Amino acid sequence: MSALLEARGLSAGYGQSHVLHGVDLTIEPGQVVVVLGANGAGKTTLMRALAGLLPYDGELRVDGETVGGVRPDQMVARGVSLVPQGRGTLTALTVTDNLRTGAVGRRDASGVQEDLDRWFTTFPRLAERRHQVAGTLSGGEQQMLAIARALMSRPRLLLCDEISLGLAPVIVQGLFETIRGINEEMGTALLLVEQNAALAMGIASYVYLLEVGRVVQSGAAESFAQSDSIRRVYLGY
Amino acid sequence: MDIFLTRLISGMTAGSVYAMIALALVVVFRSSATINFAQGEFALFTTYVSWWLTQHGWNIWLTLVPALGLGFVMCAVAERFLIRPVRKRDETAVLIVALALFTGLNGLAGWIWGSDDKVYPRLVPIGDDSFLALGGARLYYDSIFVVLSLVLVVGALSLLLNKTGLGLQMRAVATNPESAGLCGIKVGRIFMISWGLAGVIGSLAAAILVPVLPPGQLGLPGMFHMLIFGTVAALLGGLDSVKGAVVGGLSLGVGLAMINGYGSFFGGSISLTVALVVIVVVLGLKPNGLFGSRRLERV
Repeated sequence: MSALLEARGLSAGYGQSHVLHGVDLTIEPGQVVVVLGANGAGKTTLMRALAGLLPYDGELRVDGETVGGVRPDQMVARGVSLVPQGRGTLTALTVTDNLRTGAVGRRDASGVQEDLDRWFTTFPRLAERRHQVAGTLSGGEQQMLAIARALMSRPRLLLCDEISLGLAPVIVQGLFETIRGINEEMGTALLLVEQNAALAMGIASYVYLLEVGRVVQSGAAESFAQSDSIRRVYLGY
Repeated sequence: MDIFLTRLISGMTAGSVYAMIALALVVVFRSSATINFAQGEFALFTTYVSWWLTQHGWNIWLTLVPALGLGFVMCAVAERFLIRPVRKRDETAVLIVALALFTGLNGLAGWIWGSDDKVYPRLVPIGDDSFLALGGARLYYDSIFVVLSLVLVVGALSLLLNKTGLGLQMRAVATNPESAGLCGIKVGRIFMISWGLAGVIGSLAAAILVPVLPPGQLGLPGMFHMLIFGTVAALLGGLDSVKGAVVGGLSLGVGLAMINGYGSFFGGSISLTVALVVIVVVLGLKPNGLFGSRRLERV
């Protein structure tokens, strides 16, 4: 059985400078994988490349099939959905319209309505504001909206780029509990990029450590809990 | 009072045409963040095609169908093959391409059909008694037709944008093309459709305006003034606002009619001067226009 997503020798960057150098990454169906690394390690570049926003060298396979070309809608069609850093909220649209936009690729109107109801139940704050223009929501609410929007396409792999950024700890805790619940109930695989190592490690089953664009260490989450590598990568000693 | 009404009516008529052109510009700007300076010339070209068909015996109303269809196709194709590849490399170069299209299309029309003015058939009867009396002023049928067309276009556009799935996708792309792509929207396809839609609106505006505004003939410079006024209207109302295009167009039309009427001592070119002054004032004081929301960058 092939992995859900497999990256081999992934290199990507902006213009002349390469940020990622030959990254290998595997995600199995239903797995929770965390990528840790300091600022500038290339975490967001990795996410953007996987989502189809950046051209890359190397190979990317989804369900064993090689993915060519760079268009985010093609990755969504394959079941990979990105919650971008900074949320990428469609600020001029209402909360409901944001969610409906997440479901554009779907043909089942009743399923879409079901999912709308589900995410409004999971995120009551969004339900309260369903007709509000999304740009007026708070940071935490926009993050919930971004997650729900990405889930509206019923992805098999959810890419989360720094969802804790700029949010109060209690909100972040709630978000992580929610996505852990989504992973357990719906079997959605998660690839999390996080600066908040502690919280991410709490739900991870597999960890990659990224340093200056290269995977310097990877393994099961438990093996990382003991090691000094994380401290070294983040704090330099 | 009836002079005022007459001027008001003529201002609303002209304003409706400006508003329609502004709408075409807004539809393009919302999706591509570009002002299609060649919008008027696309429209002029399709109006020539319309005229040419009437020379072959077509009924003028019937010619609108291929004219509007051609408007859609020409603009969609231009976006896909001329604008998009250029935008990927350099945003400023897009303006150059638009200007090239402006000159090229105008030249093409002249080359195919000659540079003399053509007599364009009327869509709506005119004549000394083709009017409704309104409080001492005359509301001519073609004025009613123009304003009604604007109402229909705005109504149809609003319906499209707010009640359809395609409209949702267009609004998403207008707000944030990258996020729209992440939701699974084929952003390139939406660009093409937006340009095509603008082409249809522009073609309709040109087909309507040619018989209504002086000189009443179809000629090569026909759309030039209209583009300027349409652009002013769009800027005034906000380049990404449908409501703004309508308000901007109508205010400009009525404003110019009043200035022309009451300030006739200014002379003939006052309209164009006023329009250009409005552009400068808007860009200086409130670059987003009355209803616009996007932050505009300096080119």
